[in-house]
Amino acid sequence: MGRTYVADDTVQKYLSSLHTAGGVCITGLLIGQLSLQRDYVLLSTKTPHRDSDGPGEGHSSSGLLDDADLEWATEHAKQVSQMLPGGMSVLGVFLIVPPELSKEAPSTLRRLVFAIEKHISKGRLWDLTEEDITERVTLQICSKTKKALCRSFDIKDPKSSAKPADWKYQPVSSSSWPLVTCTVALDLQISLPLKSLDDICIKEGLRSWANRIKAAVCLINGKLVADESELVPGQKKNPKMGKQKFQVQVLLQTLEDMGSSAVTQCCRSFISIRGAVHCRAYLQPNKPRAKHAVEAIRKDLMNTVSCRVNMLMEDLLMNEFNDQGVMTGVQPLPHRVFVALPASDFRLCDYVFPDESIADVAERLHEMLDSRVTEESIDSSLEPTHAKTPMSSRTADPIQHSRASKQHIEAPKDIKKSNMQQYYTGDFYIPLLIYIYIYIYIYINRTVVI
Amino acid sequence: MILRLGGGLEFLCQLDVSDGKILLASLGLVWPQAVTSCTISFFLYFFLSFSEASQRQLEVSRSFADLRSRVKAESLVFSLTDSALFIWPNKSFQASLDDVDESTACGELLQYHLFLFFPPITCSSQPVVNLRFMMEITEPTEPSAPCLYRENKKHHCIRMVLPMDCVVTVRSDETFGSALSTQLSEMEAVTLRHMKDTDVPVPRPFHFSLPTSTELVTIVYPASVDDKGLESFRKELHNRFELPDDRPYFRRSNAFHFPDEPYKDGYLRNPHNHLNHPNIEGAKPYLVQGVYSYHHYMQDRMDDNGWGCAYRSLQTICSWFRQQGYMERTVPTHKEIQQALVDVGDKPAAFVGSRQWIGSIEVQAVLSHLLGVTSKILFVSQGSELPSQGRELANHFLTEGTPVMIGGGVLAHTILGVAWSETSGQIRFLILDPHYTGGEDLQTITDKGWCGWKGPEFWDQNAYYNLCLPQRPKAI
Repeated sequence: MGRTYVADDTVQKYLSSLHTAGGVCITGLLIGQLSLQRDYVLLSTKTPHRDSDGPGEGHSSSGLLDDADLEWATEHAKQVSQMLPGGMSVLGVFLIVPPELSKEAPSTLRRLVFAIEKHISKGRLWDLTEEDITERVTLQICSKTKKALCRSFDIKDPKSSAKPADWKYQPVSSSSWPLVTCTVALDLQISLPLKSLDDICIKEGLRSWANRIKAAVCLINGKLVADESELVPGQKKNPKMGKQKFQVQVLLQTLEDMGSSAVTQCCRSFISIRGAVHCRAYLQPNKPRAKHAVEAIRKDLMNTVSCRVNMLMEDLLMNEFNDQGVMTGVQPLPHRVFVALPASDFRLCDYVFPDESIADVAERLHEMLDSRVTEESIDSSLEPTHAKTPMSSRTADPIQHSRASKQHIEAPKDIKKSNMQQYYTGDFYIPLLIYIYIYIYIYINRTVVI
Repeated sequence: MILRLGGGLEFLCQLDVSDGKILLASLGLVWPQAVTSCTISFFLYFFLSFSEASQRQLEVSRSFADLRSRVKAESLVFSLTDSALFIWPNKSFQASLDDVDESTACGELLQYHLFLFFPPITCSSQPVVNLRFMMEITEPTEPSAPCLYRENKKHHCIRMVLPMDCVVTVRSDETFGSALSTQLSEMEAVTLRHMKDTDVPVPRPFHFSLPTSTELVTIVYPASVDDKGLESFRKELHNRFELPDDRPYFRRSNAFHFPDEPYKDGYLRNPHNHLNHPNIEGAKPYLVQGVYSYHHYMQDRMDDNGWGCAYRSLQTICSWFRQQGYMERTVPTHKEIQQALVDVGDKPAAFVGSRQWIGSIEVQAVLSHLLGVTSKILFVSQGSELPSQGRELANHFLTEGTPVMIGGGVLAHTILGVAWSETSGQIRFLILDPHYTGGEDLQTITDKGWCGWKGPEFWDQNAYYNLCLPQRPKAI
C-alpha cells in the first residue's frame, strides 16, 4: 500500500508547460504538505539555469546529472525550503527525461532526493522524529509520452528502495486550509567563551533556545487543546465558512534547577538577538489535529530564526573578508515578507536585508520559483521594519529597560558616549592613578632631599 | 489553603574584567624606594579590588532589577499544575478558561485540578495549590524589528537559575506579582552578601513554620554555604522572630514539608499521628516533638531479623535528630553504628559485621560519638516498676521531646510518648516496635499495633530495663 500524492491542477499545468530541447532533462522540486493519510503537492518549480561554460541549458548531455548539477539542485532546494511557511516543505523531486535516458532516471532521482534531504536538514534546529513522515516522492515524466511514474523513498533509511506511489491530480482549494499564525518576541543571549569558535557557540546558543521552544506550551486561540483533539470540530467542510484562522500563544516553561553555584565563564564576546518575528503555518484540511498545528508553528519559528541568523552570519563573514575586523554593534536581521503566488491563497515568504528592495524580492521569486509576482502583492507589513525601531520609546517599556537593550541603543551613538560606560573600569583609572603616582613621587623625593 | 508559586528564573549577568588591577599594582613596584613602592602597590591593589567588587555588585543589582521588571510584565503567566488553567496576572487577570476571572475564589481553583494528589499522610489539613509561572513570548506589547547585537568585550558571564518558591496564604492581601518581586529582592540581598569575586551561590528559598506565627515564613539561603556557615544569620532570625535560642527553627532540615510532596527516601514519617489517644481519665498525652522516620527490621535490604532491634531504634532516634536539624549526615547503617562503637573503644574490631546485640549504653555511646548528643540513662530493676517512671518520662517528652530507646529482657523498643495521669498514676506507653518485618504500609502498622499504645503489662514484669533518654543539644 503505497502513499497517495494529490497534486493541484496548477502543478499539472506547470509540468506540462515545461519543454525539453532534445536530449536534455529538467529537474525540479515538488512542494507541499505531508500528512498521515495522503500528501498534497501544491507547487512545483524547476531548477533554475546554472550559468556554466558548457553548452546546452545547464545540463551536460553526457550524463543525466553530474556533481555540479547535483550541488546546484540541492542548493536550489535549500533556498526554496527557506521560502516556505510552516507546514509546507519540499516533498520531493521531478525529472523530465527523454525516452532514451529513462533507464538511468530512477537512480538519478534517488541520488537527487537523498542529497536534497541531506542538504536541507543541515543547520536545522530540529530533527525528524518518529511522528514525522519520512517518505519523499520522485516523479519521472517522459518528455515524449508525458507519462508520469511516481515512486517514494524513505529518506531515513539510506538503503531503502523505491516504493510505488499513487499520483493524481485534483483541485486543491487553498481557502479551506486552516491558517495558524503568531508573532514571537525573541530574546536570546549567547556568550562566547574565550577559546571557542563563533559559529559553534552560536549554533549551541540557538540549539538551547530551540530546546526551550520544543518544551514550551502552546495555546491555540487562548486555550490549551489536547494533542489528539481536532482543531476544527465537526467534520463537514462547510465551504461557506471563511478561512479558519488560529492564533497560537507560546509559553516558555521555567528552567530546571542548576545546582548550588552559578556557572561563571570568562567570555570574549556577547551576542544578543532581540525583536519580533512573524510565524505562519498552513494545515491540510482533512481533520487537522492540535498537535499538527503546534508542531508546524514550532518548526516555522525555529526555521525562521536559524535561517535569518545564518544569513546574517554569512553576510558578515563576506564583509569581513572585504573590510577588516569583526563586526560589532547592532546588525539588523533580515526582514520577512510574505507573497501570495498567483492563483493561490498560500503565501510564501522571503527574507530582505535592509539594503535590498521589494524589486529584489520579486526577482528572486522569479528565479527560485519560476513565477512572476507583482511588487504590490508582496506584503512586508507583518513584521516591524527597522525604520520603525523606536529609539525614544525604549524608556517607557519596562521589559526592554535592561542592560542588553541599553547597549543596544547606545552602541550606534558616539564613541565618546560609550567611554562613559567604562567609567568604573581600569581604563579610566590608569591615567588618574599615574597622575597620583607622579605627585606622590615628587612629594616623597622633595622631603628626602630636604 | 496554601497557594504555592514555583519555577526557575534565568539570571544572566556580565561582569567586566579589568586587567588594569595587576598592571597598576605592579607599576607601584617600579619605584626606587622599596617600602614606598610596596605600600603604593598594596594600596592600589586593594583600592582597585574594592572598586571592582562594588562595580560587580552594581552589575548584579542591575540584573536583579531587570528580573523584577520582567515579573511585573504582562508576559508573566501562571499555570495551575496538571490543569488547563493559565492566568495572566499582570494583564488584568486574563485566564485561559472562560469562567475564571479576578473574582474567582481561590478555593474554586482547586476544582480545575485534573487530579488532586491526596497523600496518605497529611501533616496539615491545608490543601496545597501549586502554580508554576511561565513567560509568554508571543504577542509582544511593543514589537521591534529583529536585530543581532554583538559586543566584543572581555567579561565574566554568570548564569544561574533562581529557584523561585513563593507561598501566599489566601487570607493575606499580598498578590503573587508582588510576592515574586519581594522574593527577588531578598535573593539579591543574599547574593550580594555571599558572592566572592565571580563565585556566586544560588539563592534558594525555604519555608518555615514557626510557633509564633500562623503563616509560613520564607527565608532565602545561599545554596553553597552550609548550615554551620549560616549560624550568625540564624541568630539574627531568632532575634527577629523572638524565638528561644536553645533549639533550631531555621536549619534547612526544619523547612516546612508540604503535604503534597512525597518523601524521597520512602520511610514513613510519624505513624503515631494516625492513632487515637488512649481513653484514660485524667491522663494527659506527652508525645515526641517533631518528625522522625520509622526504622524497623528488613529495611534497606538489611536482614537483621532477630538481632537488630536496638540498631533500628537507634536509627529512629538519629532520624529525629536529622529532621530537627541537629545532624546533617545521613542516618547511620548497622555497620556505621558498629564502627562507631569500635572507634570509641567500647567493642573490639571484630564487632563490625557481626550480628551482636547492643543495649542502651551502646546507644548512648553512639549518639555521643556520631552526633555529639548526650543522653540520660534510666535504670529500672523490674519491668513492673516502669509505670512509676511516669513523671520522669512525661517530663522528658515535655522538655526534650526526643524518642526514647528502651532495652531489656531480650527486646528493644522505642517509646514515643506516654499518656500519664498525675493523680491516679495510670499510664500508657506509645511504643514504636522495630521488630516489624513488612513493608511501609501505614494501615498494617497502625492496625496490628506495630506503632501503638500499650499498657504496663506490655513489659516483662521481672526483667530489668535500661532506658536511653537523648537530650536536645542547645544550639540553633
